[in-house]
Amino acid sequence: MREVYVAGIGITSFTRLEYPLVEIAAYPGLMALRDSGLKKIDQLYVANMGSGRVNGQTGLASAVVDHLSLTPAGAVTIENGPASGASAIKEGFMAVASGMHDVVMVIGAERMREVNQLEATDFVATLTHPLAEYIYGVTLPSLAGMFARLYMEKYGVTSRHLAMVAVKNHHNAMDNFYAHLHEEITLEGILDSPEASTNNPYVADPLRFYDMCPVSDGGACLILVSADVMKKLNKPMIRLAGIGQATDTHAVHERKDPTYLFAVREAAKKSFAMAGVKPEDVDVAELHDAFTILEIAESEEVGFFKKGEGHIALEKGETKIGGKIPINPSGGLKAKGHPVGATGVGQAHEIVLQLRGEAKKRQVKNAKIGFTCNFGGFGNNVVCLTFIKEK
Amino acid sequence: MELNIYAYKCKRCGHIHYPYKTICKNCGENDHNEFDIVPLPKKGKLLTYTTLYNPPSDYEVPTLALGIVELEGGHRITGQLNIKNPKIGMNVEGKVEVVRKEAYNKHLGMVFYQA
Amino acid sequence: MSIDLEKILRPVDMVLPEFPAKYMTLSNGQEMVVRQVNRDEIPDILPHVEKLMHVERDYYHIVAARVYAELLAYYTYRVQDEYVLAAQVDGEIVAVVNGRIVNPDIGMSFHTLSMRRGLRVGAHAFAAKMEYHMDILKQKEVLIVAESPIGFRRWMIEYKLEKRFHIPHELGGCPSWSLTRNLFDNARNTLVVGRRPVPEKLLAKAHDAILPPTDPPKPPEDLLAATRSMLDNTGTSLIDMRRKLGGM
Repeated sequence: MREVYVAGIGITSFTRLEYPLVEIAAYPGLMALRDSGLKKIDQLYVANMGSGRVNGQTGLASAVVDHLSLTPAGAVTIENGPASGASAIKEGFMAVASGMHDVVMVIGAERMREVNQLEATDFVATLTHPLAEYIYGVTLPSLAGMFARLYMEKYGVTSRHLAMVAVKNHHNAMDNFYAHLHEEITLEGILDSPEASTNNPYVADPLRFYDMCPVSDGGACLILVSADVMKKLNKPMIRLAGIGQATDTHAVHERKDPTYLFAVREAAKKSFAMAGVKPEDVDVAELHDAFTILEIAESEEVGFFKKGEGHIALEKGETKIGGKIPINPSGGLKAKGHPVGATGVGQAHEIVLQLRGEAKKRQVKNAKIGFTCNFGGFGNNVVCLTFIKEK
Repeated sequence: MELNIYAYKCKRCGHIHYPYKTICKNCGENDHNEFDIVPLPKKGKLLTYTTLYNPPSDYEVPTLALGIVELEGGHRITGQLNIKNPKIGMNVEGKVEVVRKEAYNKHLGMVFYQA
Repeated sequence: MSIDLEKILRPVDMVLPEFPAKYMTLSNGQEMVVRQVNRDEIPDILPHVEKLMHVERDYYHIVAARVYAELLAYYTYRVQDEYVLAAQVDGEIVAVVNGRIVNPDIGMSFHTLSMRRGLRVGAHAFAAKMEYHMDILKQKEVLIVAESPIGFRRWMIEYKLEKRFHIPHELGGCPSWSLTRNLFDNARNTLVVGRRPVPEKLLAKAHDAILPPTDPPKPPEDLLAATRSMLDNTGTSLIDMRRKLGGM
């Protein structure tokens, strides 16, 4: 297999964007082309979950490749639920590593705010099991709520720990121009004051409003190239070193222990093994905190902390910027935003920024190894990526 | 007639699946995919639950209680709850009722009550 | 204008009890004061409302235009029995709500204009307005309409308002919804918050000056471009807009 490097990156603000979806996808592509200095690509992958259903547009990749005037390059749309982004990066990696292509552009883009919040939630809920979950009115927040309840019962995680994740990620997002929510929140405001239960009402008991990610529009792009191309570009050598993907049962109730995220564990293990690193070597990580409980659970499953100890590390501040293993310096899905199809690419974008040392105020010092976990469904399709900075 | 939710029992190894799968998860052999249809038990213990405060827009209720129940025999099922103060580990009993309406279509599913 | 004519034009207001100021903690930890503002303070609020008349998203334009008219009418004595409450954070105005008393039993809710988004500021201010009608004025019901889908979800759905479609609301004659005492009591625990009395310092800061909102809702870069682009997927209108703005 050939080695694969990240030559260029681009991103839009994750927020409500009143642009056509094609432009939301094309703009980060343009940014990434400018960033890399490349003019032509061989292949485009566009990760998107809902264009057919939410935006009434299919064949997105063909539209985007033409919008960027990159024809006749190949173009493919990839839909893999909320893990579409990292899945598309995996496809891009394989295309370059196999020797088939030298320059591959991977774009993730989503426009969910074209419909209202309830419709957007319902659209994401269609990825649950149609007969065993969806018909009961199960949505992703409710699966997270049931997961959180069991987790709290079993490991002693409290609402305060969940709120601490939210406070940390909102704080990180303050320094991220592209983040959806630029609003500091405090434990006082969302948990302790007499008004907290109104500021922060239950959404899926025990999860509250500030435990949920926002519904965002946005796009992000990565350009992956072979070593030969990369050497000519004079850019920091960020190598996509490890990829792991794993799946789990479609219906959550079928898992042996519903508090274990086996797919996360497997995917992380594969990704670390491929990159030849250990979890403790990682300097900075972006985890899929669509719900605050997931950041705690994933930080354990990927191997940063022992099972049941993620919330203790959080309490000690080990996951803050400057801590032992900073998690979600971008603000994570919680505050940076969660345009479902774009999220995986957005996470990779942040890690590349961090490894390049271009993350400004939220920079993790001397970051050499970065890790992302992109979580699809409710843990039934997970892709983990490991990036290494080379000299 | 008593309504049931049905599970799928592998004709070779006897493993019970809910929901249906094309290939048995237990024996994993792809040279057969035959299942007997068996009704799921209705009694069980509540494994976890949540109250959803903004259910999907086609529900005309302000909140929706959902839970995962471990049925007798160890099979699990996701269902709706009709219990005042649910607690993890409590005994529950299910009834098959309408759980969702889509235009004139009615979906049947398990609704759990305190046993 | 002769003084006699002004007397005819100016309605005679009922004497209404004042809304006792209250305060609450927002999710960002800041403390927000909700208090009644008097006529003399209206000119300090109007310029901040005016800017929102040009925000063509989420119906800010129509709400701001109507609030502007209502505040002006209040200031110039051209509306009967109106009251205005303002929400302030460190003196900065973050929301304006107003309404009118139709008769001792029925209140008419006018508008809720939030100038800072994402902190439930508008929801708190609306709840204060309902509290004024129900607890302070002891009215039986308040008639409400929404102009935006956000308002509809906030008021009609969260408070589970009852239909009074046979009564045209004073805002455009739209079918009214009603908050009854019963519904208000149901919502009291979850939606109506705030503490009294307001600490002196906090209240003094609020009374000291009405400062402009620091992060008000802003219009999309080019109103027409954004609207047109919904119908025009080639994005020509947006490219045109960027050209006007100079580059991407």
